[in-house]
Amino acid sequence: MASSDKPSLLMRASDTIVRSWMFIAFFIGFFLFWEYAVVWFDIPRYILTPPSLIVQKGAADLDRLLYYTYVTGLETVLGYVVAIVLALPIGLAIAFSTILRRTIYPFLVCIEMVPKIAFAPLFISWLGFGLLPKVIIVFLVCFFPIVLNAILAFNSLSEELTRFARSTGASAWTTFLKIRLPAALPQCFVGFKYAAINATVGAAIAEFIGSDEGLGFYIQIVTGNMRPDLAFAGIFFLTLLGLGLFGIVTLAERLLIPWHISVRRTTH
Amino acid sequence: MSTLIDLAGVTKVFGSGAGAVHAFGPVDMTIEDGEFISLLGPSGCGKSTLMLMIAGLLGITKGEITLAGRNVTGPQTDIGIMFQDNTLVPWRTVRGNIDLQLEMRGIDPASREDDVEELLRSVHLEDFQERFPHELSGGMQQRAAFCQAMVHKPKTMLLDEPLGKLDAMTRENIRKDLQSLWMQKRPTVVFVTHSIEEAIQLSTRVAVITPRPGRIERIIDIDLPFPRDFDVKSSPEFTAYVRETQEIFRNYGVI
Ligand SMILES: Nc1ncnc2c1ncn2[C@@H]1O[C@H](COP(=O)(O)OP(=O)(O)OP(=O)(O)O)[C@@H](O)[C@H]1O
Ligand SMILES: [Mg+2]
Repeated sequence: MASSDKPSLLMRASDTIVRSWMFIAFFIGFFLFWEYAVVWFDIPRYILTPPSLIVQKGAADLDRLLYYTYVTGLETVLGYVVAIVLALPIGLAIAFSTILRRTIYPFLVCIEMVPKIAFAPLFISWLGFGLLPKVIIVFLVCFFPIVLNAILAFNSLSEELTRFARSTGASAWTTFLKIRLPAALPQCFVGFKYAAINATVGAAIAEFIGSDEGLGFYIQIVTGNMRPDLAFAGIFFLTLLGLGLFGIVTLAERLLIPWHISVRRTTH
Repeated sequence: MSTLIDLAGVTKVFGSGAGAVHAFGPVDMTIEDGEFISLLGPSGCGKSTLMLMIAGLLGITKGEITLAGRNVTGPQTDIGIMFQDNTLVPWRTVRGNIDLQLEMRGIDPASREDDVEELLRSVHLEDFQERFPHELSGGMQQRAAFCQAMVHKPKTMLLDEPLGKLDAMTRENIRKDLQSLWMQKRPTVVFVTHSIEEAIQLSTRVAVITPRPGRIERIIDIDLPFPRDFDVKSSPEFTAYVRETQEIFRNYGVI
């Protein structure tokens, strides 16, 4: 067994290297092009700055950038965690209650159509410039994908497994713990990941609309001051924040449902 | 021998109104305690439907099923069922999947360790117990599913095409194992299959089912000595049973 696994593993590894080698080359090429295009096409510095200058100026303003990353990060993480904590039990309740599925569920689907970010100015006018309105907006952006995927997850157990569970005479609780919950996790993670990607978007837009600190605030102010170099530095940290959150969720996925990841790996 | 399963006018219609599908019946049949009966019929004739109704997992539209003297109205928990699509869960190993059956029944798997080992050995999966289902071949998955369905030692087994995905050689091996298992413990087995030879080799009786809506066309008593090894299979009596069955299917136009 082990000997027949090895070559395929090696092949997969070299495959990955070849693929990412091309990706890295493209990535470097992109920034080199950017660097020199700014010079060749003589683009004014207040429109676009070369990457080297972004790094240089960003480093000079690092303290502020790091503090604002913390501020935006706090809003993002709080909103995201509250969304998970509320969405999972609500999703569960809807999945297992016919009454809720006929009342709250269609209501949620309707609200899902509304772009949540459109509420941002309202919340800021109601609640001011502080932390709370941002957390609420991040929460709104994250809540719906998580709850809708959770409902789907808990409702889509295969007929065969449902029958198997019934044939054992197990209680609803045992069936939930041993079959329904693990079977639902992959679909739940689809929601968690989608929400993780959108969480920083929500935080940044909320800050654009009204705030006195955070990366969204920073990007808006420096852009107003004709400093695209600093705006890009802010965008860079915002991206890091998003990647960080997504990375943590992906790590949790690997830890909680390794069997699912491994299935995907061997089928690709 | 006494009657274990009794079917009286059992009928299944899916849906209602214009879209209703008359899938099965009406069928009257009795299955004796300790017999090995095969349900043999073309695809879509209602074999799985019948099995699910006996197991109490699917409602009966008309008629009545009695299992061990009691009317079947809900899931029967003291039988072993091997479903047509296997019920191995991807997050557990082969061993874990077998233990799942025990855990669902509130039995501590540790107390059945020896039984599980023996069961795994009997289907030659002892070296694969720590593997996950997606690491197994289709045939190995089916054998693991068999262990999962049988680990609680049921006296009645409903097997829905348990050998369906196996290659001819493994299939022959498992048939042999299944036969010796049946000869030793004498459980009642209801066995669904598409294979005429398989049905005749394994069964005490073969119920030949018509195309949908499934009805019992004929029940053939297979009067051959056990174990039915290679010699029996090449005997003229065996061949005569095969011909008789093929004749029925030829008349339906399914072969
Ligand atoms: N849930 C359902 N709703 C409507 N029709 C169904 C349903 N389940 C089964 N049927 C129909 O009932 C008939 C019998 O189905 P069943 O699965 O019992 O056949 P089968 O004999 O097991 O076939 P196969 O050998 O292909 O497994 C089929 O024609 C099928 O289309
Ligand atoms: Mg079937």
